[in-house]
Amino acid sequence: MSVDPEPSGYESLVIDDEGIVRLQWPADVRITGASARAAFDAVNRLCGSARRPMLVDMAMTTSVAREARAVFGEPSAASRIALLGRSPVDRVIANFTLGVSRVPCPTRFFTDRDQALRFLREGLSDAAG
Amino acid sequence: MTQPAEDARLDAVVDLIVQLAAGDLTARLDPSPARDSVDAVITGINLLADELDNTYQTLEQRVIDRTALLDQARRELERMAFHDPLTGLANRSLLGDRIGQACARADRGGRPPCVFLLDLDEFKTINDGLGHGAGDVILVEVARRLTGVVRATDTVGRLGGDEFAVLLLEVTEDEALRIAQRALQEMQRPFTVANRTVWAGASIGVCFGRRGHSADLLFRDADTAMYAAKACGRGNVQVFLPHMHRAASERLRVASELGVAITAGQLTLHYQPVVELATGRIIGAEALVRWRHPHRGLLLPVNFISVAEDSGHIIELGHWVLQSAIGQLRCWQRQLPSSFQLHVNLSPVEVRWPGLATFVADTLAQHRVPPHQLALEISETGVMTGDAGGLETLLTLKKLGIGIEIDDFGTGYSSISYLRRLPIDTVKVDQSLITDIAVDAHQATFVGAVLRLIESVQLRAVVEGIESTPQLEQLIALGCDYGQGHLFSEAVPADQMIRLLLDRAPGTTPTWR
Repeated sequence: MSVDPEPSGYESLVIDDEGIVRLQWPADVRITGASARAAFDAVNRLCGSARRPMLVDMAMTTSVAREARAVFGEPSAASRIALLGRSPVDRVIANFTLGVSRVPCPTRFFTDRDQALRFLREGLSDAAG
Repeated sequence: MTQPAEDARLDAVVDLIVQLAAGDLTARLDPSPARDSVDAVITGINLLADELDNTYQTLEQRVIDRTALLDQARRELERMAFHDPLTGLANRSLLGDRIGQACARADRGGRPPCVFLLDLDEFKTINDGLGHGAGDVILVEVARRLTGVVRATDTVGRLGGDEFAVLLLEVTEDEALRIAQRALQEMQRPFTVANRTVWAGASIGVCFGRRGHSADLLFRDADTAMYAAKACGRGNVQVFLPHMHRAASERLRVASELGVAITAGQLTLHYQPVVELATGRIIGAEALVRWRHPHRGLLLPVNFISVAEDSGHIIELGHWVLQSAIGQLRCWQRQLPSSFQLHVNLSPVEVRWPGLATFVADTLAQHRVPPHQLALEISETGVMTGDAGGLETLLTLKKLGIGIEIDDFGTGYSSISYLRRLPIDTVKVDQSLITDIAVDAHQATFVGAVLRLIESVQLRAVVEGIESTPQLEQLIALGCDYGQGHLFSEAVPADQMIRLLLDRAPGTTPTWR
């Protein structure tokens, strides 16, 4: 299942076979308040009433606006979030987001995709248990 | 050692920090596609600058918001400090300030201001009778009416209670007097409060400023003129004249001496006969208080009653009059027919006094005088102001068997239909109505109509101030039964009164004419 991307927003949004939401931001994107809001609403629409773990691929993001960080601080359909990046820049951006916003669910930054997925699957087993 | 490209990026970071340090919190630096540690530092600085800028702007906005709130609070405090909360008019402080400014302009060659003070004549009666809520409604309406008669440049203020003041700027004396008269006319119109119609009336004192006058002086002189208007019978406009100060001082002196006079036995009663016009028989007498002043001789009520009312001596004075009159009636009782009635005047202030009915009943009982031999007179305007407590007192007195009379009928605004609803049995027609009765056919017709109207509502008419035989004959011709006046006798001391009474005992021939 997937939804069409917003014009200047995220690149793709799907729920994979495991039930994990995967949100992909394009390279060099400047996440604004509006594009964050669009992604946030799309995730909520996609999940419906279910709460799911979410992998956010934000590698190569140029910046995250303050207004966007405020959106990420709002409760959503995500039950836990893994922020996936590669560079020191991604780490700064991700941790700034985590540090400044009060995240509404367990949220961590990873540079390793497998570690990130393990973290999310723990969420799946928590939900199942 | 770092690479040259890296050096250049670090230099750019240094420039960014310098810009931010200089206060330009909008400065940013884009990270390079390398996304290495230097870019991470750049991104971190960008994000921190973003936070700092936001915090700074939030604080700025808060300062703007708080300043606006403080400004609003200051304006509200200023409004409260300088305006009367009930009417929204300027208060004494603001008015004084504006008068002060106008006086200062006058000192620099401008036209001096004019101030007039307005005091409602019957506000206390309305307030006591209908309650403070009704009083407040009247005050708000007075404010509205006053604001309606002045010009945009003038200031209307409430000094407190039922006292208002108006500051007129750049005004001629004629124009100022026209405005004051219009204000007076507005106050003479009835007020509707709690589905009742009441009359407040007002007295106005006007003071024209002169160069060198202060706000305090204008207030004081307008106040003096206003008291002069009260002393002139209320419901009029008086312009301040220097002699009024002497009059004001005189009133203070009279008030002070009056307190002594009551206890020192300086008061006495004189009696004027009330006559059955057709027969000349004396059917009663009106007791009138006199003050044997140690230095000024015999003073009439007009010289001290209003002072007694204003100074609070009126209750004590009224008690003395009632006790003396009823005591005298007791002395005369054996020599007079049981139908003889003694008429005693009451001030509206006394009628409002809650203990009046009990006091009168006790005094009659103490002197063993039947209630029907006493009649109490209250002025038309005193009754017209709609004092519920006062009416209750009159009703109680009436139930005791005491006669209740309306005095000075024809000087106020009462209608016969209104009088009909009051607990009264007699109407005393004012002297002013019969002055020209013998020479003016229209006036005679008018008085005849008034007498018939009084009769038609089963009230008795007594005409006051009969001074000539033609007046007497005309009144008899009009069917008037009772009267009093100098034609029969002026008010005389008790010993003369009893001689008159015995001379005119039933069966003797009347010789008034």
